[in-house]
Amino acid sequence: MTLAIILIVAAAIGLIFIIRITVSQKLQIAPSDLATQIQPIDIEAFRNLVDPAEDEYLRRRLLPAQFRTVQRERLRAMAAYIHTAGQNAAVLVRLGQNALGTTDGNTAQAAHQLVENAVLLRRNCAFALLRIYIALAWPNGRPAAALIVHGYERLNGSAMLLGRLQNPAAPLRISAGL
Amino acid sequence: MLQAHSLLWNYLWVAPNILLLVLALLIWKRGLARQLPAFLAFAIASAVGDLAVFIADIAPSVSAVNFWRVDWAALLIESLLKFVVIGEVFSRVLKPYPSVGRFGRVLISGSGTVLVFVAALAAAYARTGNTARLISGFHILEQTVFIVELGLVISVFMFASYFRLSWDRLAFGVFLGFGFSACGYLAAWAIVSNADPSIQGRTLLDFLEMGIYHFCVLIWCYYLLVPQKSSAPKRAPALPEHNLELWNRELERLLQQ
Repeated sequence: MTLAIILIVAAAIGLIFIIRITVSQKLQIAPSDLATQIQPIDIEAFRNLVDPAEDEYLRRRLLPAQFRTVQRERLRAMAAYIHTAGQNAAVLVRLGQNALGTTDGNTAQAAHQLVENAVLLRRNCAFALLRIYIALAWPNGRPAAALIVHGYERLNGSAMLLGRLQNPAAPLRISAGL
Repeated sequence: MLQAHSLLWNYLWVAPNILLLVLALLIWKRGLARQLPAFLAFAIASAVGDLAVFIADIAPSVSAVNFWRVDWAALLIESLLKFVVIGEVFSRVLKPYPSVGRFGRVLISGSGTVLVFVAALAAAYARTGNTARLISGFHILEQTVFIVELGLVISVFMFASYFRLSWDRLAFGVFLGFGFSACGYLAAWAIVSNADPSIQGRTLLDFLEMGIYHFCVLIWCYYLLVPQKSSAPKRAPALPEHNLELWNRELERLLQQ
């Protein structure tokens, strides 16, 4: 009887999940609202966090116990950045998918590239987060989060290209402002 | 009304299978067979198998043992084809995303292995009761198939949801039907295999299963036959300015390196 209850509960949870997926497919967020969900990331601070030289410097300057405490804080910050990068990648997947149906070949190609890069970054973010959570238990090792910075930069490039193709005026204005 | 072999009982057993055969014919006629060949095979085999079990149930010349043999054969063929369809649909979902294709296949294969192990454990702990081995084995196999099926459907939905992969209408409809049927059937077979329900309770569960099956066939008809509403050509919104500024700065910095 216990097994029957466990399986019925599992089936009920599965049903709720499937209904949720169905509803979310029907009620997708409007493309205009998607862009507002992107959260800016301070790339420079992120790069400093994942810099191996910084790690080495701290390791040399601090006592092992102090280093582990500081390293745990840095890992938590790293996790927050990677989580945000992953969320942004998810939004960019949707933005890219919305642009895939355009009639302009170049825009469609750029959108495809953006979707590919965003999906890849999201996968790498999942791996990096997993490594960070493991590293939190043993902070002497360091997770390879530099890959995320590189991936995020590549994603930025794809997004910029798509943005330029869709709205040629905007990047020019921004460049002029720099 | 909720009696075995009542009009409603016969309708729920026969009508969805006739509907599924009509759907298979329309899939063939509309040229969708090339897109979902395994689903077409599943629709035909499942409907023919269920109708064969129905005939074996009402034909006086078929003995009880032979009825269960027919049921076993139908279940084995249907289950095998179901897993082929799940693989087919998942490949269809992954096709536009080569960057996560291999990872997705490895992940879902791994989930499948774990699910088989879990289902085997559940089967080992299932109560066989006083029923003959042919019948109790059938109940346990049903439970096993639906544990693995539901687990795989949920895994694929979770994978696609995490990566925000877009579903085409056909693939989503097929998976939705499998998902609903797996949830309902798993709950029903869990009771049949482990709780030894009364004859009245068993009949009610049969009605529930047949109702769910009918509902799933209607889902497949809707998603496979009703065309998607055509929307105006999409124009994706411009990306927010603050990010473009940031990205532009980063790009400038990279160029200067």
